[in-house]
Amino acid sequence: MEKLYGYTGKIARINLTDKSVTEIPTSNYVPKYLGGRGVCNKIFWDEVGPEVGAFDPENKIIYMTGPTTATGIPTGGRSVMTGISPNNLPEQYSWSGIGGWFGAEVKFAGYDGFIIEGKAAEPTYLYIEDGDIQFLSAKNLWGKLVHDTQNKLEEIHGRDVNSIVIGPAGENLMRNASITTSNDNVAAKSGFGAVFGSKNLKAITAKGTGAVVPASAEKVLELRRRMANPLMDHKPLVVEPGHSIGPANFAEAKGGFKKAYVACSHGCNQHCNMLMLDMKSAFKDEKVNHVEKCVSVFAFGFEEDVPYGGPGDTFVTEKNHTLACKMIPREGGPPDESDEHFGEMFNFQRGDKLDFWKPDFDKGSVINDLCNEYGVDKWDVIVWLLPWLSMGKKEGVFDEIDLGMEIDVESEEFVKYLLDMIVYRKGYYGNLLAEGMARAIRTLGKEKFGDTIYQGRYSQVTGDRLDLPISLETAWGHCVHWQGRGFEASMEKPAWVATNLHQMNSTRDTQTIAHHHDYFKNYVELKDDPCRSPLTAQAVIMGENKAEIKDSVTCCDWQSPDLFWMDMEAQMFEAATGFKTTEAELNEAAERSKLLFRAIIIRNYGRDRNMEVNAIFPIMTYPDPWGQTVTWKEWNDLVDIYYHERGWDKETGWPTRAVYERFGLGFVADELEKIGKLPAN
Amino acid sequence: MNNNLNNESENGLGRHVIQYPDDISFCAGCSACEIVCGLVHEGVSSPSVKRIFLERGEKQSLQHAVLTCQHCDDHPCYEKCPKQDLAMCIDEKGIVYINQDECIGCGLCAKACKFEPSRINFNKKTEKTKRKAYKCDLCRTRENGPACIEYCQVKCIGLSDWPMPEKA
Ligand code: SF4
Ligand code: SF4
Ligand code: SF4
Repeated sequence: MEKLYGYTGKIARINLTDKSVTEIPTSNYVPKYLGGRGVCNKIFWDEVGPEVGAFDPENKIIYMTGPTTATGIPTGGRSVMTGISPNNLPEQYSWSGIGGWFGAEVKFAGYDGFIIEGKAAEPTYLYIEDGDIQFLSAKNLWGKLVHDTQNKLEEIHGRDVNSIVIGPAGENLMRNASITTSNDNVAAKSGFGAVFGSKNLKAITAKGTGAVVPASAEKVLELRRRMANPLMDHKPLVVEPGHSIGPANFAEAKGGFKKAYVACSHGCNQHCNMLMLDMKSAFKDEKVNHVEKCVSVFAFGFEEDVPYGGPGDTFVTEKNHTLACKMIPREGGPPDESDEHFGEMFNFQRGDKLDFWKPDFDKGSVINDLCNEYGVDKWDVIVWLLPWLSMGKKEGVFDEIDLGMEIDVESEEFVKYLLDMIVYRKGYYGNLLAEGMARAIRTLGKEKFGDTIYQGRYSQVTGDRLDLPISLETAWGHCVHWQGRGFEASMEKPAWVATNLHQMNSTRDTQTIAHHHDYFKNYVELKDDPCRSPLTAQAVIMGENKAEIKDSVTCCDWQSPDLFWMDMEAQMFEAATGFKTTEAELNEAAERSKLLFRAIIIRNYGRDRNMEVNAIFPIMTYPDPWGQTVTWKEWNDLVDIYYHERGWDKETGWPTRAVYERFGLGFVADELEKIGKLPAN
Repeated sequence: MNNNLNNESENGLGRHVIQYPDDISFCAGCSACEIVCGLVHEGVSSPSVKRIFLERGEKQSLQHAVLTCQHCDDHPCYEKCPKQDLAMCIDEKGIVYINQDECIGCGLCAKACKFEPSRINFNKKTEKTKRKAYKCDLCRTRENGPACIEYCQVKCIGLSDWPMPEKA
């Protein structure tokens, strides 16, 4: 085998049932499938068929780093895992990304990734050190909270190990359980923590002393300089009076709190994660430090939704396009007023008035700590479960429900009681809510417990009261994210039709890796009828392909794409691997990865147009802050255009043989044809 | 010990990389300093060749200490090297550095370093004949000076004889 740069060259197949490890050359999959999610998609297509459920031993967690991981290419420290998600409704193939130092450590230990299959007979953790993989008893770890587990592993194997672990939520198969690494970075959205739990797998700990060799160290350094631009300056620890996003929800911290900014992953050139020091713990008197990013801020207070900056939040010009990673540490600076479009782009409005809960700094800290320590997806708790209880209580839907304690999302005691009840599946409701919001609400009766209208949402743009269902659900058992209503509602229709289209085509929340970006010049053309413009579909396709690239190369949604440096990811890939790669070639690999994903959901879960349009449409019938919705006709027109642009069949939403073949996936077309899932032409 | 002493103190230390206090700049924990150190010297990224050590805070505190060689005036590492002035050398500016070609991988320098943990990277797991010691040479042959400082995203490290940056 030729020497591979960037990659370590080996993927480990780890079977928990018979405790065997076999090695697969990474070159079986690269460069064709890039790395990361691209490789995961190929492995899953080859190895897991339609009959497998999320908690079956036959489900696999396919974990992959990218060729940039541990090379020093900024943001390359992120890694990704895929498998059947228990938190998706229905259970479907899904993915989840994670930051931290674990991915780099796995590579230093000699692996590009691993395929975890089977089920351990008893609680187990994996210890990976320099090419050696051991199956160790997790009896003394089982039951432990996330940080206690990390600490115990460091106690056993030394301070310089890096781990991914689950907490009690994963052990108890709570469907939205997360997997956490040492800096509180999580793979949460797909509930893979529960898949670990179902496999009796508590943790994976890695330690490596090997080397990762980028093809060009010089190019790596050049990328470090260019990607950090315009910033490399002191960032001190500061004391803040309190915490909130925008002018609303301000939660005062008595005596102030200490705040700093830290990197999310190995080798990153940014520091977009917020470190909150000496915070109140949910479990002990001692203060704790938390790493927080975007959604956690709403734990501290949720009277109002995020403010709206104007179309310029999504649609950018060369003068005004700020990397998202500069937003949380507030390093973006104010928009450039010399931009000729400045007035149209930036038109600040406050978010919807929601009145879910009053600001309370300590309670916010406790909510985040509960999620961090139990290992639960914060989104589901902060923007779904708790708002649901808040809205539902005001609308009287819980009058007959006895949770064993009065529902009161303003109370720290209640929130602790609630999470404990769910994580440990205590009683009927604990058990029910551990099945995840989408399933629990269906069991209770969706009409009453999901679709009841909350009377307390007011647009601060128009002043009107606007309908909002008490359950902020969108497609595939996920909660809304940047979709024009519910959480992060403050975006206009030209942007939210795009984010909803992203979500429709996927199996989970896509806005963690595919925040929608487009050019302002396109906004001007498409804004009056976004569903009838090919520009909307084209921007979604660009965003979807970039998401595949980011999760494969790997790089970060907060730094890419840069619409004015479109071959950034190709340069990263080439610097790591030495494979000469243009933006167009990388895009081709992304199309291939997206097609494999599409083929998996078509083959395994019967995905077609009917299914996906019906899954996404309902949420868009509720108004956005301007009172806008889409009609069935409008939406279907957009879907027609999108399928057309993709070269997929309009009636079924299935890619054609010609499309599969164009991207080197003739074998996929053959298999789909055999089961009647290839369109006629 | 943390190396946040600058050369204004009476400390018997040479010119070295220091970490600034938190209220000047808070280490983001990115590891870039460790990575670029290996990249500029060996063209690889590896825990085994870094010459600057990010000691991660205990219990996920995310408060990290950056540990480096102090280029001590008395340099016991140099004194213990059996191939003194061939492998372990001191240049005209007092920089204590290792000439990798001559290093025989005995590990005596790493043991002799007066700091705990040792500021010399010596991986005993490497095959015996391939073992080498790695230590900070302040990037003495690099035009832009220390790479770790150049690439630190938050500029929380600097040289000990630079004036301490102003607080924000
Ligand atoms: S290696 Fe240790 S003893 Fe030698 S100069 Fe550096 S700090 Fe001093
Ligand atoms: S000054 Fe140079 S040799 Fe010393 S730690 Fe920094 S990068 Fe490494
Ligand atoms: S490069 Fe700077 S911020 Fe990053 S780990 Fe090193 S000292 Fe800390």
